[in-house]
Formats: sequence, structure tokens, C-alpha cells
Amino acid sequence: MRSRTVQGTVAIAATASLALAACGGAGGPQSGGSSKLTDDKLVIGLLNDQSGVYKDLSGPNSKVAIEMAIEDYKAKYGDKAVAKDIEVVTADHQNKADIANSKAQEMYDRQKADIILDVPNSAAALAVATQAKNKKKLYINIGAGTTALTGASCNKYTFHWAYNTSVLARGTAGTITKAGGKKWNIVYPDYAFGQDMNKSFTKEITTAGGTVGQSIASPFPSDNFATFITKAGEGDPDVIGSMHAGGDLINFVKQFNQSSLKGKVQLAVGLMFITDIHSLGVDQFAGTQFTDAWYWNFDAQNKKWADRFKEKTNTRPSFAHAANYSAAMNYLEAVQEAGTDDADTIVGKLEGKKINDVFLRNGEIRKADHAVIHDVYLAKVKSSAPEEWDYEDIEKTIPASEAYGEANPACSMS
Amino acid sequence: MSDDTTATTTTEQPAPDRAGAPEAGSPGPGAARMLEVSGLSAWYGEARVLTEVSIDVAPGEVVTLVGRNGAGKTTLLRSVMGLHRQIEGTMTLDGADLAKRSADARARAGIGWVPDDRGIYASLTVAENLLLPPVVHADAWPLERVYEFFPVLHERRDFPGTKLSGGEQQMLAMARVLRMGSRLLLLDEPSEGLAPVIVQRIGEIIREIKGQGVAVLLVEQNVTFASTVADRHYLLAQGKVVEHLGNEDFRAREGELLTYLGM
Amino acid sequence: MSEFIQYTLQGLAAGGFYALSALGLAVIFGVLGVVNFSHGACYMLGAVLSAVLLAELNVGFWAALVIVPILMFGFGVLMERLLVRWLLELDPLYNFLLTFGLTLVIVEAVKQRYGVSGLPYQVPAGLGGQVSVGSVNLSVYAIFACLFSVVVCVAVGLLLTKTRIGMIVRAATEAPDRTRALGINVGLWVTPVFGFGIALAGLAGVLAAPTRAITAEMGSNFIIILFAVVVIGGLGSILGAVVAGFLVGLVEAYGIAYAPTYAQIVIFVLMAIVVLVRPSGLFGREEVA
Repeated sequence: MRSRTVQGTVAIAATASLALAACGGAGGPQSGGSSKLTDDKLVIGLLNDQSGVYKDLSGPNSKVAIEMAIEDYKAKYGDKAVAKDIEVVTADHQNKADIANSKAQEMYDRQKADIILDVPNSAAALAVATQAKNKKKLYINIGAGTTALTGASCNKYTFHWAYNTSVLARGTAGTITKAGGKKWNIVYPDYAFGQDMNKSFTKEITTAGGTVGQSIASPFPSDNFATFITKAGEGDPDVIGSMHAGGDLINFVKQFNQSSLKGKVQLAVGLMFITDIHSLGVDQFAGTQFTDAWYWNFDAQNKKWADRFKEKTNTRPSFAHAANYSAAMNYLEAVQEAGTDDADTIVGKLEGKKINDVFLRNGEIRKADHAVIHDVYLAKVKSSAPEEWDYEDIEKTIPASEAYGEANPACSMS
Repeated sequence: MSDDTTATTTTEQPAPDRAGAPEAGSPGPGAARMLEVSGLSAWYGEARVLTEVSIDVAPGEVVTLVGRNGAGKTTLLRSVMGLHRQIEGTMTLDGADLAKRSADARARAGIGWVPDDRGIYASLTVAENLLLPPVVHADAWPLERVYEFFPVLHERRDFPGTKLSGGEQQMLAMARVLRMGSRLLLLDEPSEGLAPVIVQRIGEIIREIKGQGVAVLLVEQNVTFASTVADRHYLLAQGKVVEHLGNEDFRAREGELLTYLGM
Repeated sequence: MSEFIQYTLQGLAAGGFYALSALGLAVIFGVLGVVNFSHGACYMLGAVLSAVLLAELNVGFWAALVIVPILMFGFGVLMERLLVRWLLELDPLYNFLLTFGLTLVIVEAVKQRYGVSGLPYQVPAGLGGQVSVGSVNLSVYAIFACLFSVVVCVAVGLLLTKTRIGMIVRAATEAPDRTRALGINVGLWVTPVFGFGIALAGLAGVLAAPTRAITAEMGSNFIIILFAVVVIGGLGSILGAVVAGFLVGLVEAYGIAYAPTYAQIVIFVLMAIVVLVRPSGLFGREEVA
């Protein structure tokens, strides 16, 4: 009796799977002085993954980066600052589009956010873009990779600051194929991001004169890739492209390194962050090539900012931290220049602006599709780390125009 | 109807010395009581299945509980064993209160249970079924004696317990409590569904252990079988003791009782 | 054909993790009647502990194979003594919910302490590289992990069939009440058995550390497949858990090889078929008193 009932319960529980819930936080109220701003203050909303796979990539430390921008803004303008009272509110979207949607609504309406920043995860990012469009409020995306933000789903109030999947594809697939890695097999996780990456990579490989023998979809999430790797090794490819992210990527690389393909076939990774190298260990990724939007130890300017970041967080910044800083700083500058926080006026100030700062090199906020184009980097993982977080050799700077190509024709701003 | 209290209200004797049980083997009313149940009521949820039942069993005595299905016989055994907990009333074993004791403590104090489904483990071999319970008394049968008495168990000792026939499983269930050295056996319908020759064999076993001073509380629907082994009989109907008879009276009224019990 | 052999070997290697963990789940269910939802979290803790022991105390893989199960045994004992015990008398659903809640706590605690992007761990020296026979290739570590799982399963099998402890555990698994009535203090065995089951999950975690991503979430998907394994094998059936563990590993590998998109669905289709045809699982007993 007992066994039978519980057997049923477990069968149901197993199929029903699990839903892990967590709560997002929100900032408290604050009183402000007087200025030309609505509600007398500026509210910056940081909406990202505070508890899941992208927590280390951006997460709570992006708030620190934004506060660094506020600090610099206040230091720069002092008494002349238009925004004297600036508040940062944060929320956890748990990588779910519906939560991102309601949190964004709450931020714009109830918390009076003038702008929302970050929003990794493509589905969540697109949900927030719709909110920004409807509410006519600013939104600068940093963490998400989808090209739809500057394509079919682009709008007047949405900007895409750091990277997108076609930049990664041009950087990684284009460069490796041109260097002689002609025959590719691709394994991608079977959800929107993975499918998108697979398409972009296939396009760039073909354009650069290479071929894709097989594109294999893997279930998401997955922790056993041995058989996928065996399949991907069939047909004697030069390169195997893994389009996985987070834990899936670590599983893939660990198991690739234990397979007979290690050393015979090159491994290229579609989307990789410094936090992945950190968690897996530099020697596991040694020699792997990928495209990075920014690297903290690239030059003295980056290093200086990274040192400041480390003092506050005890860790090195990812590209997302630097991009959050850059986006917040440029937004504040635009407010300063405009003398108001009116969204339409700010959009006017931002469009077409050419920027060179700690994150953006040869940067330009492209008016046509709101892609913030800038130089990106082809990175190669070092074989050993001279210090913690010093994992990348920058092999090549890919100029902004080459990395971003032409403005996305799918975008129409009206 | 006879007075069903005569047997239970005889003498006030001091709590018997259980080690001396073999000497106190004279059956019948008036002997030192090994098990005494008084005013026992039991429920399953809201449903009352026993109402103030009082019975007793002396060392070396065989006492049956006779009644229709659903009269509460098995519940009474399970309550004594400590497996049914929704009860009121008192139970003593050798004068010691059982209320606070768990089923396993009662087993170690000398109560041996042979359930109506025989309770043979499928995942244990015949030998393991025998060896599972701890030995609780010096008079426990050594394994050699068990095998001598039940040669079939020796032959099949490495078989899974449930590969035995029904009769053999019944032998095994009884052999198990004998090897344990239980002083009070609770036998729940040992003759049910067995061939007459096996039932006869079970009768022999009961008489054998009775001779050693072991007390037996036997639930039985087979009135004829009950009358060949038992000293006294309690008739249960709807959770109450309705008759308490010595074996002579029981035999004399066998036909009447059968009709009364609808058997 | 060589591809088929390759997939079979990979399936058996993955099945080893399932078998080892499902074994612990089955032992706990058998003796306590508790469906331990936190088993996946304990598997994760095993892997995380290995990584932490290495990073902070320089304790290597081989030592972790011994130390981590001992630590996890202690963790299981605490868990049973402090929490699980109090709900044993109630509907099994209560302990299912308790262990579900515990899973959330453990996962969050690990996230807070060690972050979410995972911890590094290398293949131990001597177990790197591949073995090739013809065109069949398998990593040395996968072979090791598979053989190790088999050895542990066989050892546990011997413990259960050849010792008095095993006899008692089997009896208590089959019929706890009856076993009490035969003078065995089943309660006395409950704590060590629970600890033992948790230790097995921890051991599977140590084995997974060199070849899987060590993240707080690594058990979340794992436990779902584990439930499918024990349902297929028959809840509480120890042999069933082991056989179904390897079976699910194989089905998963063939699924990936011949229908990659449906690889994980295939497992649950198998579970559904088993539940329909034999509701008590492949090795479950049909009638339970």
C-alpha cells in the first residue's frame, strides 16, 4: 500500500519537475533635494540574475559598478550636477521572462525608475524591451546576446551596449575559419539562445569559406555530454563549436578534455565569460579561443578601473560589470547635458554619440538600430594564470565596424 | 450461556516467575497467568472493533479465540503484540505492564507472533527467516532441533522464504518463534487453507510446545481443530467476549456453537 | 557497430552515477519509507566538498573518496536525528516536503558561500587520457568511474546479502512492522541506514567532480532523473535501483545518439511505460501489505 502510493507520488513529482523560487529585493524609499528632475531624483533600476547562473557574471556586483559611475559623476560635476539624488534599485529576474516583465513594470511604475540596466537572458531582455517601449522609458541592455534587441524588437528607448550573438559569431567563427579551421561540427543547447548562436555561427563559417557538417541539439540543461561529443567528432572535423553557456559549457569542456578528441580537434566556444574560466580552472580551457567584449587586464586604463573594482568587491570585473559602469556613466552624462531626465530628450542626446571610455573603444551609439558598437577582442585562454582572474591573452582587436557590420535591416524605429 | 467470568476471577496469585514456567505447566483455570488482558477496547479511527475484552492465558495453556470474520480476533492479537496502538485497557505479561513497550521490546520479552499471512520474508532465505529474530529465552530451540523437527526447512534452507508451499511457510513461521524461544505464542489462524495432514502436524507442534510450558493464544475458525488442542475457549462476537468455555463444554456444544458462529 | 559499442560504454559510464545514487535512495526509502528529495543536493554536496577539500586543505581525489562519504554520513545522521525522525510517524508526504525544503536551503547556502558559476576540479593524475580499441574510444576516467560504481554496488549487495546487518535491513525494508514484532529494534537501524544512503549520494558526487560541472544546481536536474530511475526499478527495490540506474544511462546514451532532441524525454517515456505495465516497477513487489 505505502509503496504503491508513494510510487505514484514520486512518479508525479519526477515528471512535474521542480520549481525553485527565490525572491528579489528592492531598494527602500529615499527623500531628495530639488532639481529639474521628475520626482526630484534619478532612479536607476538594475534588473538581472541575482541568484542563478549569471549571478557571478553580473549580478549584485553590477550594482557596485553603477555606484562607481555615480561616484565619478558626482566627483566630476560636484555642485553643478543636475542629478544630486541618485538611487539604485535592484531586482532578481531569476532568468525568467515573466518575472522580468513584472519586475520591469514595477520598477518603471512604482519605483519610478528612469532607466533599467543589464537584463541578461534573451527572453527576459526582450520582455523588458516591450515594457520600455510601452512606458516610454529608457532601457540599456548589457547582459543579453540576442540580436532581436537591435533587430525586429528594436525600439526608440532600448539600447544594446556590450555584445550580441552575431558579434561573437563574427569574432570567433569568422577568425578561426579564416585561419584554416574549415570543417566545423556544432553542438548547441536546444533553446532560443542556442538556436540563435547555431544560426549565426553557421552563417559566419559559410561566409568565411568553411562548412558545417553537423549541428546537434542537446537538451537544456544537461550534464552528460560524452555521447554528444562522440557524435560531434564523427566526420573528422577541424573544429567543434560548443554553443553552451554556464554549467552546460563547463560540463561540455570537462568531458571534451577527457575524450579522445582533445588535442586532435580544436574546441571553439560560442559564448564564454571569464567567470567560466575561473570556475573550471584555466588549464582546462587552455588554448580555447573565444570573443570577449572587454578584458580587465587589456591595458593600463582597464587595469586601473579593475583595481578600483577589486577594492570594493574583492574580485576582478567581467565585461558586464565594466559595461554597466559605462552605460550608467554615459546615461548620467546625457542627463547632465540635457538638464533633465525626460526620456525622449535623453534618447536624442545618446543617439549617434561617439564614446571612448574604459569599456567602449571607438564606440558609437548607432542611431539606426541602437546597437552600441565598439572594438571587441579575440581572446585565447592562457595555459596558466599569473594571478587569479588573469586568464586571457588578447590575440586580436576586432575593429567595431568589422565586429558589428551594417545596422540590422530588420530594425525600424518608428 | 455460561458465566464468562468464572475462569478469570479465581485466585489472586503473586506474579509468576517466568523462568519457572516449565514446572507451572499444568493447564487450565487457576494457573499463574502469563498474559492478562483486561478491559481492552480498540478502534480503527472512529470505528470501535473491541469492547472491554478481558482474557488471560497461563503458561503451558492453549487458549483459543473463536468468532466470525470481523469479530476482532486479529486486532486483539495485534494489540497484544503492540502493532495496533489505538487502544484502551491494560495488558500485562508475567505481571509487567505492556503499555509502554514497543513491539520489538514485547517480542524480546517473550511474545512470539505468527501472523495470518505467515509473515515470511521474500527477500530472506528460509534459513535467514529462521535466524532473523534474536534468541530471547534459554529454552529456545537450537537450530539443529528446529531442522530435526522440520526436515523440510533444512532441505530448503537456501530457498527464498516465499518459494515454500503454504503449509511449509506455516511451519517456518512457527519454527521461527520456537527458535526465538518465545514464551507466549500468538497464532493467527495457523490451519487456514491447509491440507488436513498439515493441520494435524500443526496440532502436534502445539501439543509439543505446550508440554514445555509455552502459552498459546490461538485464533481459530476451525472449531474441530481448536477443540483438539485447546484448554479453554473465548467466543468473540462484534468485539466482545460472549462466551468463555472449558474444552469439555466446548466439545459438548460444538454443533450449537457452529450454528451460532455461522460456520 | 563500433559506434554502437561506444554509445553503450558511455551509457554504462553515466549509468554508474545513477546506480550509485539510486542505491542510496532505495535503501533510505526501504527502511524509513522516506522519499529523500534532497538526494540530488547531497550528490552536489559530495562534489562541492571534494572541490573545497582540494582547494582549501589540499586533500586530493583518492582521499576525498574516503573522507567525503564519511562527512556525508555524519550529515545524514544529523539530518535524520534533528529533522526526518520527527515526521516518520506521519504520511510519507511530510518527509518528502521536508527534504524538498532542505534541498532549497542546501542549494542556497552553497550559492551564498561558493557562488553559482562553479568550482574547479581536475581529473586525478593517472586517470587522464583515453583507451582506444579499434575505433572505440573511452576516457580512462569514465571507465574508472563506471567500474568503481559497479564495485561499490556489488560491495553493498554483499553487505546486504551476506551479513546479519544486511539481513535486518532487507527484512526491515520488506516489512518494517513485522520485523519489529520479531524483536528487531528497527528504529535503531534507521539513523545509520539514512546516513549510509546519504553517504552513497556523496560518493557519487565525488566521482562526478572530475567530469561534471560542480555547481550548486548540479543536483537539481540529477534528482529528477534519479526519481525516474527508482520508479523504473521499483521503489525500495535495491537491485531494481542499480539495474534501472544502468538502464537509464544506456537509454539516455542511445537517445542522444539516435534522437538527440528527445534524449531526456526518452527516459520519462520509459518511466511512463514501466508505470503503466508494471506499476510497482521492474523489480518492485506487486503486493505490499
